[in-house]
Amino acid sequence: MWPIYILNGFYFSALIFLISLGLNIILGVMGILNLAHGSLYAIGAFMAAWAIIALGKGTPISLIYASLISGAILAALFGLFMEYFLIRPMYKRALEYQLLITFGTLLLLEDVIKMIWGGEAYYASRPFDVLGKVHILGNPYPAYFLLVMIVTLLIGLLVWVFMAKTKVGIMLRAISLDREMATALGLNIHKLSTFAFVLGAALAGLAGALIVPTTAALLGFGMEPLILAFIVVVVGGLGSLKGALVGSLIVGQTRSIGIVVFPEIELALLFLIAAVILVAKPEGLFGR
Amino acid sequence: MKKSRRNFLKIAGGAALGAGLSVLGKKGAQAAAKKKAMPKEPVRIAAISFLTGAAAAPFGIPGNNTYKMLADVINKEGGILGRKIDLLDYDEAGGVDAQVKLCRKLILDEKVDVILGYISSADCKAVLPLSDELGGLIMAYDCGTHVLMEGDTSPFKVPKYTLGFRTKAHLGIDNIGLAFMVKKYLPDTKTIAGINPDYAWGRDSWLIFETAMKKLMPQVKVVGTWWPPLGNTDYTAHISALMGVKPDVVHSALWGGDAVTFTKQAMGMGFFEKIKMAYSRGEPYPQEIGKDYPEEQLICCAGTHYFLYPPHDRWPLNKWFVEEYHKRYGKYPTYPCYHAYQAMYAYKSAAEKAAALVGGWPTIDEIAKAAVGLSIQTPSGHLMIREDHNGVEDVLLGFSKRITGYPFPILDPNRLEVFPAHMVNAPVGIRTVDWINSWKV
Repeated sequence: MWPIYILNGFYFSALIFLISLGLNIILGVMGILNLAHGSLYAIGAFMAAWAIIALGKGTPISLIYASLISGAILAALFGLFMEYFLIRPMYKRALEYQLLITFGTLLLLEDVIKMIWGGEAYYASRPFDVLGKVHILGNPYPAYFLLVMIVTLLIGLLVWVFMAKTKVGIMLRAISLDREMATALGLNIHKLSTFAFVLGAALAGLAGALIVPTTAALLGFGMEPLILAFIVVVVGGLGSLKGALVGSLIVGQTRSIGIVVFPEIELALLFLIAAVILVAKPEGLFGR
Repeated sequence: MKKSRRNFLKIAGGAALGAGLSVLGKKGAQAAAKKKAMPKEPVRIAAISFLTGAAAAPFGIPGNNTYKMLADVINKEGGILGRKIDLLDYDEAGGVDAQVKLCRKLILDEKVDVILGYISSADCKAVLPLSDELGGLIMAYDCGTHVLMEGDTSPFKVPKYTLGFRTKAHLGIDNIGLAFMVKKYLPDTKTIAGINPDYAWGRDSWLIFETAMKKLMPQVKVVGTWWPPLGNTDYTAHISALMGVKPDVVHSALWGGDAVTFTKQAMGMGFFEKIKMAYSRGEPYPQEIGKDYPEEQLICCAGTHYFLYPPHDRWPLNKWFVEEYHKRYGKYPTYPCYHAYQAMYAYKSAAEKAAALVGGWPTIDEIAKAAVGLSIQTPSGHLMIREDHNGVEDVLLGFSKRITGYPFPILDPNRLEVFPAHMVNAPVGIRTVDWINSWKV
């Protein structure tokens, strides 16, 4: 069973990587710790579930898979709105204002989700069911989980190429390294910040959309991943993309193996690891 | 159909009333003769269930639908002692603090006649003490923890609360019933494991199942227990860990979205090809998951609450209930619906019994006194409320099986088992764990 335990760890790493990647881009470029990030993830999940259900059983499966993107799009739109009206006025304020406004937004978005989709659970498992199982070393494994890992890997690569090779990516990294110097060099900080926030929100929405076929979308859906994403950010280092990747792998594998070996302390184990890393390296593994 | 249900209830009601009046005797008859005034305004009933969140779809909304349906039916039949029901439904979401605040508001400000509510054991434990503190009648309708009405040692004094009731049996019946089923139908079981939510409900359910299993099948070994947090969205690691220890049977009290997510992910990982589940509250999920729900899983119905049991030809009230609910909501009623029926009719019957004793509309204390020893007929059979203010019921269990005519697996009619109340409920004043440990097997 060990290869499957490791595979489970990679699957969970993939899920939290997408969420923490978005969280880290926003944190790195804008210096904003977005407490409402989990709500953007939940919006992506609800939107995708709603789209899958609305399209119905007769719709070709390729269109159903394409509909998952709707989660990322809606989360991006919410992100745009949020950045423009709520976050932007907070840039020059102290950290506690930013935390308060993003926490307030978290509560607000929960109610928005309730207003749009109601309080019932949404089950939209067709993308998960259709792909069926594959056999890995004789063990059945849902093919959809492999799809999630592949998609996450591709998105991770795309984001890395974007940040490392494109002009916009380099400008975002410049802001992340030294915001004042970047402003002095004439970079359009407002536009780039908006872009970073929307990108982070879209990644959170996509993560929600990808997971929803394997579970139910329901109110409070974003809380657990938000906490896990924070652990990833703490472990990997604030604002570091490499940190998000390594942090996700550490958290994913620790959880998977921890559940097998130390089932009584599956939650405590993650916090324990985060605490140890914070004590040994307060800035995180790849933090500056 | 309604006519036959009304006749059925009339006979049942008459019998209960007769029993009440005989208990009343001469003194009560004199009191009844005094005749209190009968208010004209409606009876204000607060119904509290999860209307949002994980527990809404499988429990809260079906429970709330049933309250609405029954208020409508009772009002059309003339109300409770001529008073129409004014149903006020509230969301149980928001946690224990929010429910304590809501309960205070309902009793002190809104002055409701009764609260019929609560799915969460944590909410029940927090709210029920308020019944005596604030002087309001509370009937818990769906929460399961066995410790709600039990003391710290056996024997304990009953009742724990003068104005607090639970109109159903506690989780003991589900988990003792599962242990009986494992012994009877899966006698070769050598190893068991558990996956239960990491809070009172999950821990208590496992405690009772494990205690009963150790008594009934002492040779069985526990090979592992897992405690995922409530609202977990990824069970792959738990499923693999369970498959790794290769238990013959896995006990689970997972519920709501958690039960659906676990089952669906386990289906994808080939779990059910190797391991049998014993779900303490599994009854709603074959309908929730549909035709792909695995066969041969051991399922408990939280009482005898099942849309096909008692058989409709023998128990017309169940036929009426199933048809009426299906007509209104397009689904078959699940166990929370039956629990809501029990709460609504326990209150109605207690009020009517008390009114017959005292004449006119009874006080809250009089209704509470009348509720003790109440025995009513429900769509599931009989419900009795004991001196400990807890309901006792029989329990129904079975194995999932695909049968033509149903869009989801139903319980195999050839392997349905009903264990009578005295086999699965501890005697009054004895803690469930102490009772199980006292069995001579």
